[in-house]
Parts: sequence; C-alpha cells; structure tokens
Amino acid sequence: MQNLLLFIDKVSTWIGQFFSWLIVALTFMISWEVFSRYVLDSPHAWAFDVMSMMYGSLFMMAGAYTLSKNGHVRGDVLYGFFPPRLQAWLDLILYILFFIPGVVALAYAGYGFAAESWAIHEHSNITADGPPVYPFKTILPIAGAFLLAQGLVEIVRCIVCIKQGEWPKRGDDVDEVDVEKLKEMVNVKDEDIAKLDALVTAGKGTHK
Amino acid sequence: MKKEVWFGLSIMAMVVLAAFILLPAPAEMTNGHLGLLMLALVVVAIMLGFPTAFTLMGMGMIFAWIAYKSQNPDLAVQQTLDLMVQRAYSVMSNDVLISIPLFVFMGYLIERANLIEKLFKSMHLAMARVPGSLAVATIVTCAIFATATGIVGAVVTLMGLLALPAMLRAGYSVQLSAGAITAGGCLGILIPPSVMLIVYGATAGVSVVKLYAGAFFPGIMLATLYVLYVVIIAKIKPSMAPPMSAEDRIVPLPAFAQVVSKDVSNTVLPGLIGAIKGKRNAAVPMRELLSHLGIALLPLLAVAAIMGTIYFKVTAPLPVETVEGVVAMGGELSETSDDQEAESVSGLSEPEADGLQTPPGTAEVAKAEAAPAAEPTKEPAPAAAVSAAAETPAAQAERQPAPMSFWIGLASCAVALAIFYAYFSFVRLEIFKMLLGSFFPLAIMILAVLGTIVFGLATPTEAAAMGSLGGLLLAAAYRRLNYVVLRESVYLTAKTSAMVCWLFVGSSIFSAAFALLGGQEIINTWVLGMDLTPVQFMILAQVVIFLLGWPLEWTEIIVIFMPIFIPLLPHFGIDPLFFGLLVALNLQTAFLSPPVAMAAFYLKGVSPPHVTLNQIFAGMLPFMAIQVFAIVLLYIFPAIGMWLPEVLYK
Repeated sequence: MQNLLLFIDKVSTWIGQFFSWLIVALTFMISWEVFSRYVLDSPHAWAFDVMSMMYGSLFMMAGAYTLSKNGHVRGDVLYGFFPPRLQAWLDLILYILFFIPGVVALAYAGYGFAAESWAIHEHSNITADGPPVYPFKTILPIAGAFLLAQGLVEIVRCIVCIKQGEWPKRGDDVDEVDVEKLKEMVNVKDEDIAKLDALVTAGKGTHK
Repeated sequence: MKKEVWFGLSIMAMVVLAAFILLPAPAEMTNGHLGLLMLALVVVAIMLGFPTAFTLMGMGMIFAWIAYKSQNPDLAVQQTLDLMVQRAYSVMSNDVLISIPLFVFMGYLIERANLIEKLFKSMHLAMARVPGSLAVATIVTCAIFATATGIVGAVVTLMGLLALPAMLRAGYSVQLSAGAITAGGCLGILIPPSVMLIVYGATAGVSVVKLYAGAFFPGIMLATLYVLYVVIIAKIKPSMAPPMSAEDRIVPLPAFAQVVSKDVSNTVLPGLIGAIKGKRNAAVPMRELLSHLGIALLPLLAVAAIMGTIYFKVTAPLPVETVEGVVAMGGELSETSDDQEAESVSGLSEPEADGLQTPPGTAEVAKAEAAPAAEPTKEPAPAAAVSAAAETPAAQAERQPAPMSFWIGLASCAVALAIFYAYFSFVRLEIFKMLLGSFFPLAIMILAVLGTIVFGLATPTEAAAMGSLGGLLLAAAYRRLNYVVLRESVYLTAKTSAMVCWLFVGSSIFSAAFALLGGQEIINTWVLGMDLTPVQFMILAQVVIFLLGWPLEWTEIIVIFMPIFIPLLPHFGIDPLFFGLLVALNLQTAFLSPPVAMAAFYLKGVSPPHVTLNQIFAGMLPFMAIQVFAIVLLYIFPAIGMWLPEVLYK
C-alpha cells in the first residue's frame, strides 16, 4: 500500500515535470513564429492553436504535480496556526466533500467531451484549416485522472497525519524561495547574519 | 489550542451564522439567496485552508447542480457536467492566460541570472550623494528586479541578504531598512509586466495591453513616493539613515584610469582623448583606452539614435494622432535614457540648427570623430539622413516640419549631455560600467517587452515569449545558464502556472454557478438600492477589497470577487480599466498589511535574530500609508493612469 502511494506520487511528479518542459518549447516556438512573421514574412496559421495547446497541456498536466508538492494556493491565515491533526481533519473532510466529487465530475465529463471530439475528428475552427483538437481535448480527462489519483494519495497523507500527529514528509523538490540556495547565490553565510545581531542590539541601546 | 485558532474558528462560525440569520427561511429561499449563501460559505471554506482551486470547483459544482435542478431535474447532472468541462476547456484555450507561464518563466530565469548583487552595488554607488542613499538604492533595485522577475518572496529574501546587512552596518534604523526592502520587493506585482494585471485582465475582460499601459505610471509614481519618503526621512532624522561614510564611497579605479586621471584630465572624454592623441603614456594600452572611450560614448550614441528615429517619425507624413503618440513617448524615452543627441543627424538634415545646441554638439561630434570607436555610428547616421533626403521630395508637400517640442527636446537633450560629460569623471565611468553590466540589461529588457506590448507591435503573448528568450540569453550571458538552473526554472514555472490556471478553472466554474443562481442580481439590486454616488461606491469597493486582502491572497480576491464588482461598474460610470488600476494598487497594501504580510515573513527568515517581526511591521506601516496616499492620488488625478492608454489607444 505504502509503495503504491509513493509510486503514484512519483508518477505525478514525473508526468508534471515532463510536461513542464513545454514552456521551453513554447518560448522557442513563439519566438520563432514572431521572427517568421515579422522578418521572413511567412506567418503560420496553425501557430495560434499550437500555442494554446502547449499552454493548456502544460498547466493541466502539472496540476497533479503541483498538488503532490503542496503548491496550490491555500488561504493559510488561520490554517497555519492550526495544529497538524486539525489541519489533517479539515483537509480530509474537504477532500471528500469538494475535491473528489469535483475532480471525478471533471474527469468523467472530460472523457465524454474528448470522446465526442474523437468521434467527429474535430479540427480547430479558429483558422480555415486548423489542426486537430481531439488529442488536446484528451488532455482534460487524463489530467483529471492523474489529479484524482494524487488526491487519493493526499487523503492517505491526511489519515497518516491524524494517526501520527504530524505530516508525513513530502518528496524533495525545487522551492520558489529556497533560502539556503539564495544565500549561496549572493555569498552570504549564517555567521555574517549572526554578526549583524550586535548592530541591531547596539542600535537599540543607543536610541532608547 | 492557541487563542488565534479559537478566534479564527469563531469568526468563521459567525459568518456562517450571520448568513443563515440574514437569509430568509429555507422555505422562502430563492436561488439568488442560495448564491449569497454560496459566497459566504466559500469565504469560510477558503479560510479553512483547503487548496482554493478545488474548494471553488467542488462548491461551484454542487451549487450549479442545485441551480439546474430547480429548472429541470432530469437534465441537471448532464448540464452540470457540460458546464464544468466547457469552463475548464475555456481556461485551457484562453489566449490571455497563455502569457502567464511565459512571464513566470522569464522571471525565474532572470532571478537566477543573479544580477541583483551587482545591481544593488552599482545603484548605491551611483546614488551615493542622495540622502538615505542605501535605502533609495534598495528601493530602486527592488523595483527593477521585482518588475523583471515578479517573484516577491525571492526579491525580499535576496534583498534581506544583501541590503539589510549593508544598511544596518551603515547605521540605518531597523525599521526604515525593513520597510524599504519589503515595500520595494512588492512593487513587482504592480509595475508591468506583472502577472496580477494579466489575471485581472482575464477576469474582467479588460485588454491586458491597456492595463499595462495604464499601470506603468502609477507604478513609477509609487516607487517615486517611496524614494521621496526615504529622502525626507534621511534629511529630517539623519540618525535613522546616516549619510555614507567617505570610505564607503570610494570606487577603486583600474590602473590605467588612475594614470590618465592624474596625468591628463579627470574628466573622461578629454582625459581619454588626450591620452590617445597627445602625451601617450607607455603604461596604458591603446586598446583599453579605445574600449573605454567607446563605453563613455554610449550615452551619446543612444540619444543620437533615439532622437534621429524620432525626427524621421515625426516629420514623416503620418496621421495626426500617431504623431502625438510618438512625440509623447519620445519625450519619455529621451528622459529615461538621458542625454545625448542627434547632433550628427540634425546637423546634416537641418543645416541651420539652432545655436543653443551647437557649442556642446559640435564639440561632441568633433570628439567622436577623433575616436575610431565612434566611426560605425557616424556612418549609419549620414546614410539614414541621405535615404530620408531621397524620400523627402516625394513626400515634400505632406511632410511636416518637426514640431517645436522636438527641437526643445533636442536642445534639452544636448544641454543634458553637455552637463553629463562635463561631470563624467573616471569614478563615474567605473560606476557607469557597473550599471552597464546590471541596470541597463534589465531596464532595456523590461522596456523592450513593455514597449512592444504597449505600442501594439506584439501581443502580450509574443512579447512574453521574447522576454523569456531574453531571460535565457541574459542567464547565458552571465554564465548562469546550466541544466540545473534551467530545470529548476522550468519546474517552478510549471507549478506556479498550474497554481494560477487551476485556480482559474475552479473560479470560472464557481462564478458560472453564482451567475446561474442569480446571486449577482441580488447583489446588484442591493448595491443599487443603497443609492450610492460613484465616489461612495468606489470607496466602498476599495475598502472591501482592502479588507479582503487580509485573509485572502490577491489571486483569490481577483478571480472570486472581481466578477462581482465588474458588472456594477457601468451603472456608476466607472471604467473597468481605471478600476483595475485602483485594485492593483490596493492589493499592494495587502502585501504590507500586518499581521499577514508575506513580505515580512520572508525578510524575518533571513534577518539577524534580534530583528523582531514587530520591528519589520512597524517599518512597513509608513510605506503602507504611502500606498493609501497613492490610491487617493490616483483617484483624484485619474490621468496618472489613464493618460497613456488614452493617448495610445484613442
């Protein structure tokens, strides 16, 4: 059981990271398109569709990854003050009340949505000869399914936390603000900061 | 459990209770009342700390089903599913939100190019004479870096590591230092290109281009007000921000510069030219002199190029409004890049250029001629002039003489240049070189991205992609681009974009349910029933948003509450664009309002142990007051924000 959960965690991360490279492709594709249009004077009709497909796949498939790294925005004004057990209880209830029904519905509806598109071999209607959109629409149920699997893992995390009284560790990942790395980047060491303390306390002494 | 927890839970209980008491009995409840109930519940649910995207999605789904069920029970499930999938797909193929990952990616790359250390150093040397120079340099550095990256946490942390020690060592008060860092770090979410404005634009259906044009000057104004405040404090209470000591100001000169400044002249141009032409110092290699002369002449060349371009744009037979736009912006550009001149260009095309500019101009040109480094520029300029001359006969009748304002601008540029070069010592050349390596790449990149968007040369998406490419090149140029850095930026971009865009998926389902239930109509009739004047409504709206800024993040406020405010705007005759600018300024305060201000916690994380959160909060308060003042200013003088969009997109 434990292994299965860790496996799902890993798969979500791997899939999310795989699709996140689309941003590099997107950057180069649009840059090339801009160059092609303004300099070579040969715009591509499909460019707009492909752009939005890349962007849509990128963020949809990164949803489960973000969830597994606890990256979705929370209103943590109060949540932060709660003890871990209460946090876990609240999360557990809300996962079952909002998350599971919502994501199940999204994935199920997305399945029908994509199936219809496959059935008619739908092409984009933004331009006259648009690229096929059925693969893109298929992203919707797939992303929903991964998100659901990851949600189940999160539910188990909540249960573990309720039992043990503290949150199980998450896998390592890049942080937006990684203080240690930033310190290294600008060559500041902890001792330097500690030394400054003298200035702070001294300052207090003279001013008051 | 702690007191805060009980306090928080009791507030939530009160909200729920109030919702049930205020609403009519279940039997008489209409769908509209259900919508209001949903709104109250969602605020409570968000405060419970569950990921907001899924709270909105789940609750939206449940209430959408209720709404459909009241109309046609048989179809309710299918309709709800359709609604969800349509909404999700519309976010997936949204052509506004697509620039979010690109701008985010650009931000992470620039952050990792590690320009901030150099930027801060060169800034504070460049501003050594300004009172409170360190704090001013901090704010300017923050403003530029935060604008380019848009990542509040990283900017505040980095500046906490760099600027806070510097300021404390220089004897600045903890409060002022902390305030400058936190306030400056938050500027990035207002000054375009910012993600917040894209989110607002996507929610409110306002053009992102106009929002960028509109937010530019309010952002600059806010930064300027911060700087003014610091300068005034430093003047009134030098104990809080003592002037820099002499040894801190010393800029080490390279060997050749010491020789030249001692033997020839301390001013760069005469010094270098003298060294090249006249008494040659054996110790100084020619190449070094020439390359420095080239650097020293860069401002001249930049102004020459800008004014030359403007001249041909202005005199070209174009529709009147375009000319106005160009002239207006031209004034801006020449101000920012400062100084120099199209002497060579204007001299050729207009032989009797007015006397004012001739003395410095000819001197400059003469010097430029002396330098081989300047030759490339001399050639294009006459060439341009010639080609323009060739065009002129054809368009003679329509081609207008350059307006007086152009010549005034030209003359003032020439004067500014002359003054600049008169005071351009070798110390300043060193500082200028440092700026060249830190400030100008960022400033040019921001202006290029913004400029192409605002002037309609590229869509925000295209500009954002070019910006990301620029970020890649910048990181490569600073030798920071490797696989690890790229990988981290890519993963962070994916997580941030997924966070924002899934929030959009959730909120668009939620607001669809809200609209289905007719909650909007109840709010509309209620607000209209209060019979407010536009001013009262505006104040009410801003106060509500300000208060929401405490418990909620700006993303949540915009995606959940803007759809409620926006439909009310036409009734009061308020432009959604203007409203957006006020909201963006207003949400700035949310980042600085204790006790939830994230900026303070980031700073606390890297400050010495004896710097308390209370000191940081105390330091932020004056800056928060400035923000409120800025909102009032913008409200009283809407032109601060609306002038540029109106000029450009009449």
